[in-house]
Amino acid sequence: MKTYKYNATQKLFRRAAKVIPCGIYGHYSPAPLVPATDYPFFTSKAKGSRIWDIDGNEFIDYMCAYGPMVTGYGNPKVDAAAQKQAKLANCVTGVPPVMVELAEYMTDLIPSADWVFFAKNGGDVTNYAVMIARAATERKKVIMVSGGYHGVSPWMQGEGHHGVMDDDKKNVLAVKWNDIPGFEKAVSDNRGEIACFISSPYHHPTFADNEFPAEGYWQKIEEICRREGILIITDDIRAGFRLHMGGSSEYFGYKSDLTCFCKAMANGYPISALTGTESLKSAASKVFYTGSYWFSAVPMAAALTNLREMKKINAPKIMLNTGKKLLDGMVKIASSYGYDLKVSGASSMPYLRITNDPSLMLHQEWCGECTKRGAYFTSHHNWFISTAHNEKDIKRTWDIVDDAFKAIKKKYGDEY
Amino acid sequence: MNYNLVKAGLNLHAILKNLEDIAEFDSEMKELTSSWNISIKFIVKGGPSATVRFSGGRCTVEPGIEGKASIILWFLSPAHLNRMFDGAANPIPLKGFTKLGFLSKEFPKLTDRLSFYLKPDDKLMTDKNYLEMNTRLTLNTAAFAVPEIIKGDPVGKKISSKIPDGTVAMRILPSFHSVNITFSSGSAVAHKGDTDKPSAVMEMKNVSLANSFLNGRTDAFTAIASGDVSIKGIIPMLDNMSLLLDRINHYIS
Repeated sequence: MKTYKYNATQKLFRRAAKVIPCGIYGHYSPAPLVPATDYPFFTSKAKGSRIWDIDGNEFIDYMCAYGPMVTGYGNPKVDAAAQKQAKLANCVTGVPPVMVELAEYMTDLIPSADWVFFAKNGGDVTNYAVMIARAATERKKVIMVSGGYHGVSPWMQGEGHHGVMDDDKKNVLAVKWNDIPGFEKAVSDNRGEIACFISSPYHHPTFADNEFPAEGYWQKIEEICRREGILIITDDIRAGFRLHMGGSSEYFGYKSDLTCFCKAMANGYPISALTGTESLKSAASKVFYTGSYWFSAVPMAAALTNLREMKKINAPKIMLNTGKKLLDGMVKIASSYGYDLKVSGASSMPYLRITNDPSLMLHQEWCGECTKRGAYFTSHHNWFISTAHNEKDIKRTWDIVDDAFKAIKKKYGDEY
Repeated sequence: MNYNLVKAGLNLHAILKNLEDIAEFDSEMKELTSSWNISIKFIVKGGPSATVRFSGGRCTVEPGIEGKASIILWFLSPAHLNRMFDGAANPIPLKGFTKLGFLSKEFPKLTDRLSFYLKPDDKLMTDKNYLEMNTRLTLNTAAFAVPEIIKGDPVGKKISSKIPDGTVAMRILPSFHSVNITFSSGSAVAHKGDTDKPSAVMEMKNVSLANSFLNGRTDAFTAIASGDVSIKGIIPMLDNMSLLLDRINHYIS
């Protein structure tokens, strides 16, 4: 199978590096793509489940823009709604009526939502949720899960990271995922001081197997939090609407006080949302929080159409089933070459790892080989499935997976 | 945080360690030290200690004060040691008074060469041999600084608690020089040379690129994306190690 070259990518990257910090920064940085030279960095066009880089290489995209693409690049229904709204108004003086319509739709869609607040990015609403929790409880401390990711505000980042001061983290306590005794201890050691517990609905760190909640985990967390007056913030930025249209707390059977949505809301149009219960509406209204583009109408119109479409077709079920079929086939192919391809997390956003080499180097090489053949796989982060991924994509991906395993088997023989 | 204590550890265990490579790879210094048979203990009250040994044409610099020494140099405090490294103080000899001539005339030739190699300028860096030696010593200094930062720097301690156990290999290609750092339960030990089964690897394409990268003249993300530096394995080990290396500048430049 032919493998791709990235001459134009490297050329443009060198231009980028002269005028942009890191060349490409943040989660789009090529640094965690191992080896970076196996990957495209710049996408010139996209359609459905596919992207094309500036070298003209075509990829089945299993990162979906790290989550925002959910119903296919260039989805005609979503794009039409956005374009219709763009002709009327986008970022203008005065609030667009579609904002109310979207809020009404989301409060109907999401059982735990009595109100909705819109922003742009996931970190906007995780930060706002914590501010509301602090305002409502008049407490300062936050519990989070070690390895959890809630954005890039200083309190969310790791100690020792550049620009993060010791004081930024002093009110953030970390507990292990699925560790009820550890959670109980953190609560009892800080009784009356903890405002909230912020967590993704299941644990999806980078560079590590993803973990679902143990039987009864969320229910026990809920019991402790209710007893202690601690609010539950669900960071559903990544998993939201890829497990359940009512939010992932519905999937796992617990009640979230505040829930953060973003990625799958509008199929790539920039919008995020915080939903909350009636009892927190007053606190939310007292916390001043806003942004220049948070009232833009186009993403709201896109979100309304996208969510309606996802609800209509039961998008989470489609993505979970597509993912399962894809992954089952891949695991079988891996096994035929003597490799154990471990899948963890939800099949609509799986994390994969070849267990034969605990250093991940073999897995990284295999992901690079797949990407060079046209299936864009990252080795450090969970992937994303969309409703646009179809049978043809799955079959093509299996062919690529097979050829990539063949290549690494040829290189390493029975070393692993 | 005890600034001087951390700095003394870096001076003694990361900077002074480079005498080994100067005595091996600088031909003039190799000749100078080839006949030396002497050992010097550096003892710091309330601080680190190290022993420099010259024997059989080889120099070793190891932590601790095990065994006999020809010369013992005493420092009243970590700050006193640091002042000596800055050229602003002298040690107190406790043993080896008959070898004061060696200390005042011969040994400084080697330590002056250390300063020479670690204080580059643009002109010096155009010399291939100088570039190679500066690069070698910079990589050594980085590797041996990591355990010191973990031991003494409060932020370093927090960062190290997140590093999984395993060994990081840092290599300058093609087969120029390697170091490895083994992390275990929040502590670290550095060694020169390669390792068979690293958990994570950082490879720099050549000496010149390695020099730019290690001295911060090339942005790490850019170097990695362009393939000038390649990384693989447990990347969080490298991410966190990079944060530890960034702490060195708080103490020494």
